[in-house]
Order: sequence, then structure tokens, then C-alpha cells
Amino acid sequence: MKDQVRALREDFDRELKAAGDASALQALRDRYLGRKAGAITALMKALGALGPAERRVAGQELNELKTHVESGLDAARDRAASDSTAQRLARERLDITLPGRRPPHGRRHPLTAAREDLEDIFLAMGYEIFDGPEVEDDYHCFEALNMPADHPARDMQDTFYLAEGGLLLRTHTSTGQIRYMLSNPHPPDVRIICPGKVYRRDDDITHSPMFQQIEGLVVGKGITLGDLKGTIEAFLHALFGAQFPVRFRPSYFPYTEPSVEVDLGCVVCGGKGCRVCKQTGWLEIMGSGMVHPAVFEAVNARLGRVVYDPEEVTGFAFGLGIERVAMVRHGIDNIRLFYENDLRFLEQFPG
Amino acid sequence: MKVPIGWLREFVDFTAEVPRLADDLTLAGLAVDGIEGKGDDAVLDLDVTTNRVDCMNVYGVAREVSVLYGSALRPLPVDIREEGPPASGAWTIDVEAPELCPRFCGRVLDVRVGPSPAWLRGRLEQVGVRPIDNVVDLTNYVMIEMGQPMHAFDLARMPEARIVVRWARPGEKLLTLDGQERTLQGRIGVIGAARGALGLAGVMGGASSEVSDSTRTVALEAAYWDPPSIRRAAKALGLHTEASHRFERGADPEAPPVALARLAHLLAKIGAGTARPGLIDRYVAPRPRTRVSLRPGRITSVLGAPVAVSESRRILSGLGFAVGEPSEAWTVDVPTWRGDVTREIDLVEEIARHHGLGRIPSTIPPSARVEGLRPTQRRDRKVRELLAGAGLIEVITYSFVSVDGGPGPAPPLLRLANPLSAEQAVLRPSTVFPGLLSALRTNLRQGRHDVRLFELGRVFGLDRAFPEAAPEELRLGLLLAGRAPGHWSAAARAVDFYDVKGLVELLAIRFGVPRPDFQPLAGPSWDAVLHPNQSAQLAPLRPGRPTEYVGLLHPDLVARLELKEAPLVAELDPARFDLGASIRVRALDRFPAVERDVAVVVEAAVPAEDVLAEIRRAAGPLLREVQVVDKYDRPPVPAGRVSLTVALAYQDPARTLTGDEVQSSVDAIVAALRARGWDIRGE
Repeated sequence: MKDQVRALREDFDRELKAAGDASALQALRDRYLGRKAGAITALMKALGALGPAERRVAGQELNELKTHVESGLDAARDRAASDSTAQRLARERLDITLPGRRPPHGRRHPLTAAREDLEDIFLAMGYEIFDGPEVEDDYHCFEALNMPADHPARDMQDTFYLAEGGLLLRTHTSTGQIRYMLSNPHPPDVRIICPGKVYRRDDDITHSPMFQQIEGLVVGKGITLGDLKGTIEAFLHALFGAQFPVRFRPSYFPYTEPSVEVDLGCVVCGGKGCRVCKQTGWLEIMGSGMVHPAVFEAVNARLGRVVYDPEEVTGFAFGLGIERVAMVRHGIDNIRLFYENDLRFLEQFPG
Repeated sequence: MKVPIGWLREFVDFTAEVPRLADDLTLAGLAVDGIEGKGDDAVLDLDVTTNRVDCMNVYGVAREVSVLYGSALRPLPVDIREEGPPASGAWTIDVEAPELCPRFCGRVLDVRVGPSPAWLRGRLEQVGVRPIDNVVDLTNYVMIEMGQPMHAFDLARMPEARIVVRWARPGEKLLTLDGQERTLQGRIGVIGAARGALGLAGVMGGASSEVSDSTRTVALEAAYWDPPSIRRAAKALGLHTEASHRFERGADPEAPPVALARLAHLLAKIGAGTARPGLIDRYVAPRPRTRVSLRPGRITSVLGAPVAVSESRRILSGLGFAVGEPSEAWTVDVPTWRGDVTREIDLVEEIARHHGLGRIPSTIPPSARVEGLRPTQRRDRKVRELLAGAGLIEVITYSFVSVDGGPGPAPPLLRLANPLSAEQAVLRPSTVFPGLLSALRTNLRQGRHDVRLFELGRVFGLDRAFPEAAPEELRLGLLLAGRAPGHWSAAARAVDFYDVKGLVELLAIRFGVPRPDFQPLAGPSWDAVLHPNQSAQLAPLRPGRPTEYVGLLHPDLVARLELKEAPLVAELDPARFDLGASIRVRALDRFPAVERDVAVVVEAAVPAEDVLAEIRRAAGPLLREVQVVDKYDRPPVPAGRVSLTVALAYQDPARTLTGDEVQSSVDAIVAALRARGWDIRGE
């Protein structure tokens, strides 16, 4: 009996090692522990034929074998189970270098992005955004802005006229100055920007017949040229970074006096001189000036009473091209790219 | 304008290097665009603003330099020795139109026509003027030097040695110096002769009395012309010359006699002739002198910082202004060459630009009120964000389109009187037709077939309230073409009606407004524009609002536009998405919902919405939600019919529903659907 037990143990240990998977383990369990045909079960049954002393010893050995087999099988089963999880995980391997399933992704136009950035800076400074019409009349576009008929400055802005009604397409967003002052809910204080499309009869690499501007107007008691400077510096530093210097130089616009052109230190070369700044180190970025008293007078005349007394209130105005900002930002040298709507261009911007 | 440094130095001394001078001029308002050459041979390229006609000459720039550096401005040498018989005996001048020509001056010169000396030719070449002969060269020289255009006539070729300054007669003909025969119409001034005209007033001389090698006596003219008259004439003739450029901006009425003397002085200096005694001066409409009052306090209140009184007075005097005694309000006499200065604020600018804008401290005015985006501005930003987030790319197309505007319902078109081309002659009535479609074609040409675009911009038309409200409104256009956005893991599919309808539904959901009612297209204006059975128009927001639509382009239009595949388009009124009512929160459900499916087989032509409406009618109050989850039209569903699977959700806020009450509602639904003649599958 003792030899039989030892032989059985050796067989089991060998077979357990060879058992590859769960079904082989089950077969092994049936072969040794099965209720009907199990080898250990058969020996247990055979104990009855032994004498009492022999039976006690053999019974003990047989119990030990049974425990050994059971624990060996259990351990092997657990091992097999964990092996199959590993195999499953291996089978489930994905190629993580293939593209992800992206939710749909479009983009805003780069001029929209630029415009909203500009708007946000002025919103933070307490400005209101005012939308004026694109179809305008001579009064709002020229006359009220100190450009009467025959004024040479009208040549600077070749105008599209409509066939009907004596109307025109606004050549600048300065029209917003007049429209706002005429409908101002809290006169004489004004603090607005007026973004939008404008139109001029020009079409070449640096001119598009349609383009976008932002006009600004601040009016009130005690508004000065110093306020103009401080506001524009704050704005340009917020937009481009405080490392770029800003300079102001006298210029001419019919509706401002003094008129001021604003230059920004070249963002491309840092002021050393390059192709973009035409070797000057400066980029012409916007026009501005103190509101001409004639503009206040024209608005007062239309209102029929003195709401903006040039002796009492002063103001500053400024205007810049949104394309100009986007072109400086992104190194674009052809303004027409903005309006060709070629996806090869538009898809370069995160929007 | 080109200004040679050597020429400047004739009138003012300065030690600044040329690049420094260029910077200083730029910061005083005379922008230097470029510098050619070095040292005394350098030439500045100035971009003079249109108001500063006084600086469109060397002497005017020298005056600015003298103020910049506090250096004296030397007077122009104009001394002459007159010889021969009196000028007035040789030449008769009559001004018939004083409103055209307030002042006309003349001198008679005896000349020896020949080439100019090298120094004179060199100067002209430096500023880009081609030397011709000494007489013509000197007229150009004096114009560049002091800004007064002049004209030299060959006195022998002037009929009866007489000039009449007058308006042109209708149809009058004139051969101008540029070799063109011009027929004059309208109010154009001429320098007339006994017969015909000798030149265009203030614009260009005529050929008939041109100076030539054989000229012995010159009638030299310098005038002050009425600026608007010259501007209108130059515009009418399409002729812009150095002379008209200066005259239309207002020259100096005191310059003509000085310029004549300056030329005579130079003529003698180069040994090419002498002046006869006497200036002929017809100052028929003397120009008023401008006197302006300047309050020093005003300088501070406009600039925000004071400028020393002595500094202000130094600047004004240096620029030629005669400044009265210091007081509360100074009396300032404006020099005749500064026609642009007419009021106090103009003087403040003169002081500011020479004081230096850089010296004015920067301040930021305090804000008195809180502003922010208006609701429509917030809406427009959100529309753009949502559509970009939904995979569409924003485009901006031109507001002007081709003459035919495009198909579809449109108000009467607004036309441009002076378009750049027939392709840009009309203000667009729509964002889709043709803007988004041409953007599609641009990209198809590049081999891009999967195109998803939107544009939010104004459209134009005559039927809007007019002219108080502008004839323009905001529209949102959508265009989808090619395949739906895909992934390598799934088969590609073409975009269809439901893609574009879904975008409209997405916008409605995200703005918290009712989902639009999609209705069949109505009206003949859609014929051959949109596919009649794969398009819809939206129930109008309010009566009188423009038509809004979503749909597939009609195959005939697709063929006409030479597109391979039909794109889907939509045009919407963004006002539809004006932010909805504020949200009131509903209590969370405490009791579970019970879900059931019903599959109903109907004729293919029956709209799903009819089936859902029938279900809602029959279901009773416990039905919370009903939606189509599947549509199936292959066997075993008979041909011509479709099976719609509808998911039903029942819920009561106050209790758990029993199986029986749900079942009785489903039974009622099934009975109602059967009563319509529809079959129920799986029952």
C-alpha cells in the first residue's frame, strides 16, 4: 500500500506538471479524486481489507496524498486561471498608434479669432461693442466726419456706391462714431468699439475690396491725448506682448485733430529691421487721434441741440485693420488669402 | 516726395546725421519712408499727408527742420536786376473768372534756351524729374523748391500776346503738353488766348505755345487757383499732375510773385536770361487772412499735460505763425502757406507734434460703467463655437456677388453703381447662393471633396424697412458635401439631409429654444434649386421673416454648376437662436421609468411624425418620451412599406408604475395604430 501511495504521488506530480490547461486539470482531478474511478478513491475503498494497524498507517498516508493532490490541483487551477486572463489581455492588444476617433472638429475663421481677441481686451477695459450697418449714406460715412463733398481725403477711400437711394458701402467703421453718438443712451459719455466689414474699390496683394476694421471711440469730460496713448499702449501690449515698444507720431485724418499714427516695434525682427517692417524696425499698426471738434459740431447739428459741447467734452478715436493684426500675428503677406476660403489655409489655424 | 539733403542745407543748418534727421521728421509728422544715398548726397523720401501741401517742397521741409533743431531758416534769394522795356507792354493778362483764379501773376523774360548747368540737372535728377531745357527745368526747380507750379509760354507763339483766364466753352478743344487732344466739357478752367485756349488752368499747359529752342521771350505765369475748381477739373479730366495735386490742396496765395522772382533770379544766376521790368499782378479776389485765438489752457486740456508757454510760442513762431502778446487767449495770425490751419485745435496739433507726442505722459481713463457682450453678440459667438465644435469650418465670402445673384427666394437685389467687375456687382441676398457654393468649388478644385462650411454674415435686399433701418440682416449659411466625418474602423458614408437637419437641431438644443418645425418646401421659387423630396423649409419664426431652409441641392442645379455630387445647404435666421427663456429646474425622478418598444409597419410615404403623433394621442398621461430608434425596409417587411421601431418611456413622478397600467397603455397604442390600418410587428 505504501509503495502504491508513493508511486501514485510521483505519477501525480509528473502529470500535474504536464497538465496544460483547465480541461487537463479536470481530467487529472477525475483520475485521482473521482468518486467512481478515482485512483485515491479506489485505494480508500481498499483500506477496509487491511488489518487495523496497517489500516491506520495507510489511511494516514492516503489522507496526506489526498491533501497533496487537492492543494496541487487547486494551485494549478488558480495558476491556469490567471494565465488565461493574461492571454486574453494579450489577444486584446490594440495598435495605439492608429488615429483616435475624434469628435467632429471645425474651426473659426482666423479673422473671427483675431476680432474676438481684440474685442475681449476692450470688453475688459469696460468698452461696449457697437454694430453699425455696412450699407451707409454719405452723411455718416463722410460729411459728419469732417469730409464734405470735394474733400481731397475722400480720394484716400475709393468708395463703392449703390445704384439706388444715394447709398454706399461704408469705407471705414468710423461711421460707428456718428451712429453711436446720435443714439447714445448716456450722453455725452462714450466708450465703444465698432468692429465690422468695410469696403473700398481696391484689389491687389495688399488690398481686398472687402476687409474688416475695429473703430474705437471714447468721449467725455477731460479725455486727453495722454488717455489715447495709455489706452492704445495697454491694448497693444495685451495683444502682442509688453516687450514690443509703441510709438506715436503725428499724422492726418480729417475727423481727428491732433491725428496720431501708431507704430509697434516689429514683432518679426524685434526692431532690428527686416523685410516685413521695410527695414524700419516699426510696423504701422493703427490710426488714432483726438476727436475733431467739427465732428461733435456735426452731431450736435443733426441732434438739433448741443449734446457734445466741444468746449466741455473731448474724446479720442482709433481704428485698426483686423487683417493687419492677423497678418502680423501669423506672418501672412497676402490679404486675399482670408477671403479665398481655401481649406489648406483655414485648416492651419486652431480656430 | 523726394528731398535732397544738400538742397535742404541751402536753407537751414543742422548737425544731425541723416538717419537721425529722418527719425526726427517722422516723429514730427513728416514720415520718412526711405533714405537713398549717404551724407550730403542723401535723398529723403517723404510721405507728406494730404493736408500739408506746405511741406510738398524743399523750403517747407527746411522750415520744419529749423523748428526741430532751433536753427534759423534762411530766406530764399529772390533779388533780380530788371532790363529792357516794361513787361506790361509786351503781355496783356485779363482774369474773367475771379472765382476760378483769385490771383494771376506774370513776368516777361528774355531768354537763351539751352541745356541747364550740371548742378541744376543733378538736382532735378535727384528728385526724379527729367531735365529738358533751362527754362522748363527752372519752372520745375522752383516748384520743387518752394511748391509753386508755374508755366512758361513762348510769347511769340501767344496770339496777340494776350491771356484771358476763363471757364472753358462747351466742346472747346485743346492739345495738352502730354500730346493728347482734349475736348473740354463742364466747369473746367482754361488759360485762354485771343483765339482758343493755351492751357488747362492749374492742371497742364498746352502744346501750341510751348517753349522751344527758338524761343527768345518767355511769358512766365504763376497763379493761385481755387482748390475745389482744380480738384473737379482734374477729376473730370482724369488728369492728376504735380500742379493739380498742389493747387487742389490749397497753395499759398502769396507765393506767385515770389516764385516768379525766384525763377528770374536763378535764370540770371545761370546766365540764361533776364527779366523785363515789372511784375504783372492780377490779384482779383484777395484771400482773407486767417486769425485764430489760442488759449494756452486748451493745450493742456487736450494733451493732458502742459507745454511751457515759451516752448509753444517758439514752435508757432518758427513755423511762421505771428503770435500776439501772452494772455488768456493769444491772437495767432496764420501764415498764408498754412491753409490747413483754421481753428484753435489745429494750433494745438502744431504744438503737440513739435513738442513731441512721446513726451506726453500715458494715462488710462477710468471706466464709469460695466459693459459686456450684448445678447446677440453672445449668440453669434456661441453659434460660431458650436458649429466649429460640430466639425464645420468658418468661411468669409465677399458681400458682393455676380449679377444674377443666385437661385432661391430673394428680395429685390441691391446693385453697386461702380462694381469692380460683373462678378461683384450685386450685394448678396444669401450666404449660400453663391458664396458657400463658390467656396465649395474652390476646394473641389484642390481635390477636397469632404467639405463642411458655415458662414455667419450679413445679406442685403431692398424689401427691408428702408432707409431708417439698414437694408441688411444677419444670416447663417451651412454647407456639407462629400463623406460624413469617419474613422478607419467604420465604412464611410455620404452626408445626407439628416446631417444638416441634425446641426439645426443641435443649435436649437444648445440655445434652449424650441426645435424648429421642418415642413415640405412650398412655392415655385424652389423649383430646380433644392431637391423637392430631400429638403425642408422651417416654419417661420414670426410672420414676415425670411424663408429658412435645409436641403439637398437640386440635380439640375448640380449639373449646371458642374458639381459631381449634390451638397447639402441650409440658410437660417440667427434670431431663431436668440437665447431662450431662463431654465426652471424640474425635480429629479425618484421612481424608475418603464421602457417598451413598438414596431409598426406603415406605407413608406407616411411621415414618422404622424406615427409618433398617433402614439402620443393614444398613450395616456403616463408616457414621458417617445422616439424613433430604428427604420427598416427590407424583407420580411413588404415592398413599399417600412417598419419603424419606436421606444416608449413611461414614468410617474409620484410612484412606481405597475406592469398592468403600462401594458394597458401599450395595448391602447397598438389598437390605435391598427385602427389607422398599420401593422404591428412581433405582437
